[in-house]
Amino acid sequence: MRPARPANFQSAINVTPLVDVVLVLLIIFMVIAPQLHSGPAVELPTTDRPPQKPDDGRQILVAIERGGTLWVGSDRVAADAFFDRIREAAHGRSDWQVVIKGDHRLSFGEVRRAMLAVEAAGFKDVGLIAERPDEPAQGG
Amino acid sequence: MRIDGGGPSGLQSEINVTPLVDVVLVLLIIFMVIAPLTLRGYDVNIPGQAAGAPPDEQAAEQIVLAIDLAGCPVVDAPDSAGLPAGCRVRLNDEQLPVADLARRTTDVFAARAPSDRVLFLAAHDRLNYEAVMRIVDAARSGTRDLRIGLVTEAR
Repeated sequence: MRPARPANFQSAINVTPLVDVVLVLLIIFMVIAPQLHSGPAVELPTTDRPPQKPDDGRQILVAIERGGTLWVGSDRVAADAFFDRIREAAHGRSDWQVVIKGDHRLSFGEVRRAMLAVEAAGFKDVGLIAERPDEPAQGG
Repeated sequence: MRIDGGGPSGLQSEINVTPLVDVVLVLLIIFMVIAPLTLRGYDVNIPGQAAGAPPDEQAAEQIVLAIDLAGCPVVDAPDSAGLPAGCRVRLNDEQLPVADLARRTTDVFAARAPSDRVLFLAAHDRLNYEAVMRIVDAARSGTRDLRIGLVTEAR
């Protein structure tokens, strides 16, 4: 009789659960990455029924802070350079949409002027971002 | 693995649901994380200045929501949810309290083809942005696919 040997003894570490977890994390970050919008934290206006705006990756984000400071994407832009910056961004992207994140304490005129600059740069419509009252403030 | 001649000692008759539960829980977590990150907001059309003035027959059909400073003196951000109190707006030539706006716009746009459902917004520059957005939200609440247009002419 041969000495008993553990038939299923494995000397290698089982990496399958590790690979599972890592792949799931990879997928989560792949899905989230386009949603992480850059730019300043803006206190958005709250409305009862803001419709969802699906992010198809063809959005140019403009943020307007409380004092009227303008941001295009993650760059702070001076007011007199805003139009040129938007027109530059519009180049070859006329089917993109500009979305404006305006602070809720702004006056309508400040947002309207930004919208007119966006229109003059060649975009047909803009999105005004709001959030529902029960949602936590989403920053940048 | 050793196969002994006896009965199948480790045979399971139940479906193993553990991987299924794993996958479903991970999907749940993914959607929980993403849900608050989706942007919400209103599309606003800005009529191009190059397009010129609209023809007269179209102008007759336009519905303009006018919010002026005399009827709706809200210049500071509202500190509570809901529509600004004591606010009157104009829908074309009709003055109405903002609380009645949703019902009125629902009636007006119900008679129109979906492609003609455009509400033009003419709000005073000094009004608070959030108050204007809430009034717009109320105006479009009863109508599916209502588009918002910005009045660009000088007032």
